[in-house]
Amino acid sequence: MEKEKVKISALGKVLLETGALLMSSGANTNRIRVTVNRIANAFHYDAELLVTHRALMLSLADERKDKFYSSLKRTSPHGVNFRLVSGISHMSWKVVEEGWTIDQVNAELERLKELPHYPRLVILTFVSLAGASFCHLFGGAYVDMVITFVATFAGLFVRQQTTKMRFNPYLCIFFASLVSTMLSGLAVKYGFGQNPEAAFSTSVLYLVPGVPLINSFTDLLDGNIMNGMVRGANGLIITLSIALGLLVSIFIYQI
Amino acid sequence: MAEWFDLLQKSIWCGVAAVGFGILFNVPRRTLWIIGVMGMAGGATKFTVLLFGNGIIIASLLAAILVGFLSIPAAHRKHSPPMIFAIPSVIPLVPGAFAYRTMLGLINLTGNVTSDTYSTLMQETMNNGLKTVFVLMSLAVGVFFPMLISRRETFKQIRTKGEEPENKPA
Repeated sequence: MEKEKVKISALGKVLLETGALLMSSGANTNRIRVTVNRIANAFHYDAELLVTHRALMLSLADERKDKFYSSLKRTSPHGVNFRLVSGISHMSWKVVEEGWTIDQVNAELERLKELPHYPRLVILTFVSLAGASFCHLFGGAYVDMVITFVATFAGLFVRQQTTKMRFNPYLCIFFASLVSTMLSGLAVKYGFGQNPEAAFSTSVLYLVPGVPLINSFTDLLDGNIMNGMVRGANGLIITLSIALGLLVSIFIYQI
Repeated sequence: MAEWFDLLQKSIWCGVAAVGFGILFNVPRRTLWIIGVMGMAGGATKFTVLLFGNGIIIASLLAAILVGFLSIPAAHRKHSPPMIFAIPSVIPLVPGAFAYRTMLGLINLTGNVTSDTYSTLMQETMNNGLKTVFVLMSLAVGVFFPMLISRRETFKQIRTKGEEPENKPA
């Protein structure tokens, strides 16, 4: 009897942890619900889940409906991490197919949380390359691509630093946008390069909230209207922060 | 001929951008090259459709649908959810230039505008803004398209050629 109680609460905690990790790594609502249900069913429990942007609510019952567990968990601040989403999805199938115990799931979650990110220099270089590609796509020449590369590099560096210093996330994006456009704006101001406008407009594209916006639409299409709207609002505020940085640069340089 | 070379070049840069965003989103290393190829395929589709004189919205929609369909076999092969491939691959298709022009237009509209310039400015801003919104919408719908038409909850239930039908609990 006691053992059952311990088991259901341990499982409940694991499920909430899984859901919260998925939410903050950028999975959509349906994926969170399906994954949590899949793990709960593997242990022969029924799970009902309320998913919101900043908190999860779980109600767990065993098959005879005589044991219940119910709890809430706040999600940690959001940061896109697809390695975690992929790992948890992979894990949920293993739980079903190989009949894992709760301890095994816990250990796997700990391992996934510790998985390394790409080295910082690699991230900075490749995202800057992506920025340079955007510049090419919008009609920039090689000179302009170099400008975008430098502006993106500096902006992303500032974003990482300010995020480390625990500034408000939208403020971090504003700082990054400001630094990038101040650098690429110099080219516009002094007429450097063949198409400085292209460099200026593409130097902030690495900040575009692609994951929140796409998840917003998929949630809306799934019928999770509330979450879709919340994610959309989040994406909108990020866009406005980018625009504010752009606006300040335009104001300073009077271009 | 020159335009096809230009198209190839643009597609390759789309692939590079997709890989860059894949790294920013911390995707598993084994999926990176597939994301690059899918980004290239998306870019090639978009610019080919544009080359035949179609609008940017339909071009983006078709490109995103292709990426959405490619993400299913990729997900089976690499044992990762399809969104991990699809989202970084469509980011290069985001209409950054239109969004920028919309923003610039809005900034100009808040300044001192006379009645002569107002209507042209408003018209341009509205046009660019609507294009931005509709392209974003078509990207999201396109990526989601395989799930919508197959009416499945998870991609594991979507059968691809040469695989055993799966009867796993969803």
